[in-house]
Amino acid sequence: MATRNRDDLLAGLGRFSEPALYILISLAEGPKHGYAMTQDIESVSGQALGPGTLYGAIARLEARKWIEPLPAEERRRPYRLTTAGQRVLRHRLESMRAVVRVGRARLAEG
Amino acid sequence: MPGAERLLRLYPRAWRERYGEEFLATVGQGALSLQQVMDIVSGAIDAWLSADVRRATTAVRAAPSGGEPMKLKSMMICERTKLRYTKRDSLIGAGVMIGATLLFLLLGIAAQRDGWVATGEILKSLAFPGSLTLSMPFWLMKGQPWKAQAVILGGTLALLVAAGCLASLI
Repeated sequence: MATRNRDDLLAGLGRFSEPALYILISLAEGPKHGYAMTQDIESVSGQALGPGTLYGAIARLEARKWIEPLPAEERRRPYRLTTAGQRVLRHRLESMRAVVRVGRARLAEG
Repeated sequence: MPGAERLLRLYPRAWRERYGEEFLATVGQGALSLQQVMDIVSGAIDAWLSADVRRATTAVRAAPSGGEPMKLKSMMICERTKLRYTKRDSLIGAGVMIGATLLFLLLGIAAQRDGWVATGEILKSLAFPGSLTLSMPFWLMKGQPWKAQAVILGGTLALLVAAGCLASLI
């Protein structure tokens, strides 16, 4: 049941769940500010996050304390992944890995 | 295309204070594409309507840069934006709803008697959903930013009227 709850937490972000996931993955590498996040996400996923979507996801992640802001450097403020955010990300990636494994197995059978 | 600084004004003040500088730094100085403009406008609507975003922007989340003055400021901000409706507000909302229901029904009956059959049907069909919508600012939406209230109420009423007109044509 705890497993399902963590999945629901990320899915509960609605249309921001995917951008939020990308942000968590980006920050897993280390603290980044918004511009660096968008560059990293685009290089990893091919998706260009608009600034409205980016900050909508950042606000939601911050409200849930899955990321936290660091002191601003000039006009840019870096964020880092919190311990809670790491747990949510780890669980989500594990779930996705299981799904990918099943999908690949079925494709191989077919 | 409007620039990022101009579009930033669409966002709530608390949002601009919290994210404005870094938002502009992220967007940069270059011209915005239509897709970016639409994304920013969509983000502004979300910032007004989303409880999550309000929570993130009204608490002092920035890395600490002061002691008591920052704590006091965050308490004042939270107090100001906290949703609060009392039993009295609920009763007022209920009164508005009952009054609006009666008004819609009476107008609908009067319109039908005067030969405006379709208009009368629409008014009568709006009695409940329209009155519920009109009562919301008095209780459910009390304390919300007025712009958000205007968007939700205006949009909902427009949709209800459009649905009523469509139904009358079928």
